[in-house]
Amino acid sequence: MLGSLRESLDLTLFWEYRAILLRGLLENVYIFLGGAMLAMILAFAIGVARLSRRWTVRVLSTGYAELFRNTPEYVLLIWVYYVLPVIFSRLLATRFNFSPYAAAILALGASYSGFMSETVRAGILSVPREHTEAAMSLGMSKWMIMRRIIAPQAIRRMLPEALNQFVSLFKATTFVSLIAVEDLMYKVSMITVHEMRPLPLYTGAALVYCAIIVAAAQLIQHLSDRWRRRGWA
Amino acid sequence: MLDNFNHLVLPNINLLLRGLSVTAYVCFFAFLLAIALGSVACLVRLYVPFIRVVAIGYIEFCRATPIFVQLLWVNYVWPELFGFPKTVVGAGIIALALQSSGYLAETFRSGIEGLSKGQRDAGLAVGMTNLQIMRRIVMPQVVLVMAPSIVNQMTVVIKSSTLVSVIAIPDLMYEALKLVNTWFEPIEILTSTALMYIVAIFLISILAKRVSDHFRSKFGLAGLV
Repeated sequence: MLGSLRESLDLTLFWEYRAILLRGLLENVYIFLGGAMLAMILAFAIGVARLSRRWTVRVLSTGYAELFRNTPEYVLLIWVYYVLPVIFSRLLATRFNFSPYAAAILALGASYSGFMSETVRAGILSVPREHTEAAMSLGMSKWMIMRRIIAPQAIRRMLPEALNQFVSLFKATTFVSLIAVEDLMYKVSMITVHEMRPLPLYTGAALVYCAIIVAAAQLIQHLSDRWRRRGWA
Repeated sequence: MLDNFNHLVLPNINLLLRGLSVTAYVCFFAFLLAIALGSVACLVRLYVPFIRVVAIGYIEFCRATPIFVQLLWVNYVWPELFGFPKTVVGAGIIALALQSSGYLAETFRSGIEGLSKGQRDAGLAVGMTNLQIMRRIVMPQVVLVMAPSIVNQMTVVIKSSTLVSVIAIPDLMYEALKLVNTWFEPIEILTSTALMYIVAIFLISILAKRVSDHFRSKFGLAGLV
């Protein structure tokens, strides 16, 4: 056991492949950025729609959020990659295929937009009604109230919860390797097949992800704290 | 489409349901283990000064490592390193439990720290031992106050359990992908599988919310968030 412990902590093999692994990690980051962008755009749209005055809009957007919140990310990923192209092909009567990257970004973005729309809704609701009323009495338009009064306050309040969501999203990018996106875990599996030494490789991958997520979360929290305090009043 | 559904999904519904039962089995034991590990980690972090660092490291590692990475790590590295788990089901349960135990430990901790200190003092004043205070005063309140987060974590476990198909545990996702690879008709099979998961998670979260709301109102915590 001591021997295997030393072997799994001996990360020279992991270090040997750093160039390949780093390229894999970069894929993770790209997919994370794409997914996060899509999730934020969708989440804002859905979050605002959930507070709409029309009940049809409200019901539809709540249904959307519940649907994507309750679907496992992996199932959604597989569904988007295998099923959606077939449906599109039949509808458009041409051959249609997603690249694994597009499928990954679409699936993760849609999946996390469900969670984030909840955060957006709570953030908007946390701004007191009087602020909106005050702005209305000053003659601001709806769009202006959103941009100048609600959004700056709501976004600051959403940030800690959104940060958790982004961490989850980054963690979810690891299983895009299952639809053959060449990310870090994909490279690790390939190198394991080649070298037949899973101990240092998988341990290394686990430690790298852990370090990145802890460091990034701390850094973002530290950087955003000042910005959040400034708008606190 | 309905034709295909009758051809592909209905004759194989037994297979899918068997997969669903494996999913349920894995999730149940993973969640039990997660609660046990999470409470131990939380108690060590709060009350045992010497090895607090170990507990913090454990919690941070569990929370910051993706479930997929943990799954492969436990499956490939642990048998050589620690001599267990011997089966893939064991590896799946341990990996899911590790991930959730980190989150649950933090949930329990925020629950315990949220209690006012006066309650503990009151317990001491009437002559309770530390263990009694924990069991009779702290635990019931923490569980009730934190019930929604615990339920939420349970749905996360079910959602993450879809990944255990990767290490060849015959759960619902595994059976579905096997069917897809046999018939090359992904639409009906994968859509039904997704719906089964959605319905299962939705039902469980509603049921658990009902139960926790019942106890919360029974013990007068309904007003709390």
